[in-house]
Amino acid sequence: MSATTDTVPLRAGILPKVAGPLSPLWPFLLLLAIAAAVPLTGNAYWGLIATRMAIYWVLVTGLNLIVGYAGQLAIGYVALLSVGAYTTSVLAAGNVAAPLPAFAALGCAGVVGAVFGVIVGLPALRLRTFYFAMTTLGFATIVNQITLAWQDVTGGGIGITGPEMPAPFDTTWGLLYLCLGFAVVCTWLTANVARSRFGRALVAVRDAEVAAEASGIRKPRLLVLVFMLAGALAAIAGGLFATLQTYITPDAFTFDLSLLFFIAILIGGRGSILGPLLGTVILTLLPEIAAPLASWSTSLYAVLLLVIVLAMPGGIAAMIDPRSRRKLPANRVIAPRAEALDTLLGQRTVPEPMRLLGIVLAFGGVRAIDGVDLTVAPGQVHGLIGPNGSGKTTTLNVISGYYRPESGGMAIGAAPLPAGDPEGRAALRIARTFQTPRLIGEASVLENVMIGGTVDGTAGFAEALFSLPRQRAEERDLEARARLALAAVGLADLAGARADRLQHSELRFMEIARALMLRPSFLLLDEPAAGLSTEEIRRLGALVRAISRHGTGVLLVEHHADLIFDICDQVTVLNLGKVLAAGTPAEIRVHKEVVSAYLGA
Amino acid sequence: MKITRRALALGGTGLAVGASLSRPALAQNEPIRIGWLAALTGPSSAPAVGFNRGVLFAAEALNAAGGVKGRRIEIITRDTQGDPTKAVNATQEMISQLRVNAIWGPTNSGESLAVTAIMARAKMPNIHPCVVDTLIDPRRYPNAFRISPSNTQWDDAVRNYCMQRINAKKVAVIGDTTGYGVSAANASVAGFQRAGAEVVYKANIDATQPDMTPDMLRARNAGAEAIVIWSVTTGMIARMLNTRATMNWDVPFVGHPSLSSGEIGSLIERPQNWEKVYAIGYRSCSRDAAGNLPPRTAELVQRLSGKVNLQDTLLWWVACAIDAVNLVARAVDATGSTANEAIIGNWNATREYPGFYGTYTWSPTEHNGYPTDEVVMSAANTARDGAFALAPGY
Amino acid sequence: MLASIIASGLAVGAIYALIGITYNTMFATSRVMSFTAGQLGMLGGVFGSLFMLRLGVPLLPALLLTLACCALVGVLTEIVAVRPVLNSLEQHLYVLTTLAVALLIQHTTAMEWSTEPQPFPRLTNIGSGVLDEKYWLPVAACVVTILGLEYLYRRTLVGRAFVAIAEDNFAARALGLPERNLRMASYALAGAIGALAGFAGGQLLLAFFANGPLLNFYGFIPVALGGLGNNRGAVIGGILLGLFQQAANFLVGGIFSSVAVFTLFIIVLLAAPQGMFGAQAARRV
Repeated sequence: MSATTDTVPLRAGILPKVAGPLSPLWPFLLLLAIAAAVPLTGNAYWGLIATRMAIYWVLVTGLNLIVGYAGQLAIGYVALLSVGAYTTSVLAAGNVAAPLPAFAALGCAGVVGAVFGVIVGLPALRLRTFYFAMTTLGFATIVNQITLAWQDVTGGGIGITGPEMPAPFDTTWGLLYLCLGFAVVCTWLTANVARSRFGRALVAVRDAEVAAEASGIRKPRLLVLVFMLAGALAAIAGGLFATLQTYITPDAFTFDLSLLFFIAILIGGRGSILGPLLGTVILTLLPEIAAPLASWSTSLYAVLLLVIVLAMPGGIAAMIDPRSRRKLPANRVIAPRAEALDTLLGQRTVPEPMRLLGIVLAFGGVRAIDGVDLTVAPGQVHGLIGPNGSGKTTTLNVISGYYRPESGGMAIGAAPLPAGDPEGRAALRIARTFQTPRLIGEASVLENVMIGGTVDGTAGFAEALFSLPRQRAEERDLEARARLALAAVGLADLAGARADRLQHSELRFMEIARALMLRPSFLLLDEPAAGLSTEEIRRLGALVRAISRHGTGVLLVEHHADLIFDICDQVTVLNLGKVLAAGTPAEIRVHKEVVSAYLGA
Repeated sequence: MKITRRALALGGTGLAVGASLSRPALAQNEPIRIGWLAALTGPSSAPAVGFNRGVLFAAEALNAAGGVKGRRIEIITRDTQGDPTKAVNATQEMISQLRVNAIWGPTNSGESLAVTAIMARAKMPNIHPCVVDTLIDPRRYPNAFRISPSNTQWDDAVRNYCMQRINAKKVAVIGDTTGYGVSAANASVAGFQRAGAEVVYKANIDATQPDMTPDMLRARNAGAEAIVIWSVTTGMIARMLNTRATMNWDVPFVGHPSLSSGEIGSLIERPQNWEKVYAIGYRSCSRDAAGNLPPRTAELVQRLSGKVNLQDTLLWWVACAIDAVNLVARAVDATGSTANEAIIGNWNATREYPGFYGTYTWSPTEHNGYPTDEVVMSAANTARDGAFALAPGY
Repeated sequence: MLASIIASGLAVGAIYALIGITYNTMFATSRVMSFTAGQLGMLGGVFGSLFMLRLGVPLLPALLLTLACCALVGVLTEIVAVRPVLNSLEQHLYVLTTLAVALLIQHTTAMEWSTEPQPFPRLTNIGSGVLDEKYWLPVAACVVTILGLEYLYRRTLVGRAFVAIAEDNFAARALGLPERNLRMASYALAGAIGALAGFAGGQLLLAFFANGPLLNFYGFIPVALGGLGNNRGAVIGGILLGLFQQAANFLVGGIFSSVAVFTLFIIVLLAAPQGMFGAQAARRV
């Protein structure tokens, strides 16, 4: 599908630039300049501390994608540091094969780390948070015990000499610059991922998993890629760590160190890069500055963690984020713009109708849907009404693949629509909204909407990692489309605002914009008018109508009878999981049973 | 004088802050700065707490006597908590920032392994009491000197005692699952086998294992005539001693100095469970059959009384630390210089220096300074003022 | 030898099961898995040793004092680390707050108590060998706790209110149940159960600050095996774990037994994320 690039002329003046994870750049450059200037002091101690920070940061950049972006609580990540440190040291020392040059050993460690990263991360695909946290701790213990027991290779409790980097990296300052170089590259790489569709998908999986699935994001694939990257970076950090320490023993890889990485990200704030960087700097420096408190350092970490979570759950990032302070216009209105919708949806081949035949679904003996037939025709608005518990939303969930019906079939034209597989719906251009808006509160409205276009991305993870031309072109395209979608639903001016600062009615329109990113053949709307004012309902009606006129088949679950009868071409009434009536609004309005069972009056 | 750990740590760092703020002065008036890497808090902090008392006592005594050539001794303490990472940071700080003249410590082998190369790079004179053999290598680390026995010397003492004095030809070797426990047990097994003894059972036991019966039963069924222990975990040792009593087995326990730790006394079920337990000790800090310490040590205890609490620590820790500080002071006194080469040169020429803890001899090619014949076994349950009675057979 | 493996396996298994029940009790009213569960067990041993050996309090008052102290710790945990984050359960902030509290408890114990294991007194002097009190006490404590909880949940009003809240929080609140008070009560109860585990297992585990993370982990495995919120599952899981661990200690030695336990734990979890007796995950859409 070719993306539209000739956008409607939008007023350039009010276009807020979307802040990338490295913007503003000056704090990063300032920190880098300070670290790079440490040699001027001639003090090797500060050189050591700066090198240590850089190494920890290399690990934290990758872990940040897991903890800060994907929200997976990997507490025992010191295991990966240990794996990297030992792999590099063992290969460089030649304990298993001919000694490798230090950089080759470091590269091997990266590969081994990627593999281990996946192994440590795999449980996250199946387990809930606390369970996953526990398994990472389990892995940390296993790695520790194995390094102890495998004495021939790892030196056991006596340990092993760390690799020595070749000149010019074999001096204090050489190593500092090498580690700073790694830190810069890793920052750039992970920032690339963070601002790509992969990074947005990670956050979506964290905060709005159901919406992520409906947008076609496949969590396992995504997480495996990120675990590989984070594992590789952590292992490389481990190799550098071994070089810095000059000698490693299992007791260098303490749980405290693991906590340092984890807490650095959390006090830094989720979904940020600058925050965790500052967190890493602070936590590495703190024990050095507060040497008299050395014995209380664990308590200090704990109190810091508690205070941050309770007093400022957003961490440092929230404090320095301008979006959370910028005022939103007070008397704003949602003004959908038809011409933007025209540009966005354009002329498309009209899809074939979607048919549901004899769908049955029971929850523990209760038949929530009991033989529902339904046809959603392209270019039409199909209303689905009925009393509470009649099976409306359940029908929607069957169509979008969250529930697997016990019997019955679904098809688009002649092609059967497979039951289940919610992540596959986006590729079939079936989009939906939710009864309670599913949003990423910390992300901007624009980013929330861009989530909807995830399936159209063709650039791979590696292209995103290095920000290659195709990836950049796709991103520009996606952003342009998202702005169009926002203009189409009337939220163009709020593109840069944090989503959690929007009003409820605005969120409903934002969800529609996200669904429009798919240029859907079918659009499933779950009570979009709930909580809207009369005027807003009127605009919603016009918008839905306009969308259907571009060839999209709309299935509208709604309680507002007026809206249904205003804009629907067809209406199906459900009662106790069965179709009570179906027909045009005019027919339904006078249907006796419907009037008595539902419409009342 | 009752010294709490925290007060010590705070006192030490107070000195350090003073040092970093002091302006450069003429070398003649500048204090002699000794860096002291101590695991004062955290697990396995007991030795460093004991060492620390000796360090402070020695510095105070030297300064009260007018210092060394008019220069004060200044002790700069950093609490490493036994964490190699913290030890590396503290070592570099001492070298580059605090500009100490010599470093004493660290006290745990894990930390020591991590900082040895860093000190060598800076040619920093270093004395430490860690036993791991590879820590001493005059070629690679010409700056590092050991003031205690090496693990091999410990191992020899334990093996010789088992084979020659209690005549055990079949032994069980047991370590814990820490780095030290694993490697020490392996070395010990190899040593026994080389010496022609039979190691009938070897195990590394998780220190948290609540019940030692299976391992003890296996050792007994295998015919062990002595149980050799390599562990610093008092809880595990006490459980094994209690199990031995429950089994009505009178096999002797021989091994690591922790066997004589005061903590064990409180963890065993009956005092007699601690009989027939022989821990590594030192002739200088052991009482003979008549209950007397060697004269030189007795004199030291006399001087310490009222100033340093010996009840809850070991005399050798205190004595060893005093010797370490004195060795730095002596080097400065003899050479008139605090230059690295001067101190190292002086130590390299040390011949039978009579310390309180041992008689040290170092040369440019041998930096293990502790005489093997001064490593003895002591009866573990005979602690009094931090000193032990010699084990039977001496 | 088999007898001693079974005896110690049952004993530590019972301790793990009790810690598992501690997790469950806190979870039931708050939907929160708390890292403090293991620390409560550790405190049971430390407080018991403190009261009986250092302060010379007789057995019964010492036990009551220990339970009361840990119940207080439980309530404090609820106030400091659970209540403030209940509104955002889906962000899993409770993992962080309870971790922070657990670290504080452990570190304070290390500083103020001792970093070396301290002795725990004999309590009854009944039994010897494999029937020694240190083996049967934890099992007895586990049985008493299970019976007590069954009675509480089935026969008392407060207990039924607990069950109601555990089953449907919103409905229970709608019925006018004092949700907050019940939650605090359940945290106090959890504190007491954890304390009982530590107290009964004091002779096996000793009064040692580092027992906290250990119990945290080994106490969580029964929960994972038996299914979240299922106390009977926790008991079965705990006993199985205890026996497996002691047998592994014996068969493969100390180093590999922990590797074996952790590996088995991860594999079982992956195979059955809901545990052996757990309920299916709730609907999401």
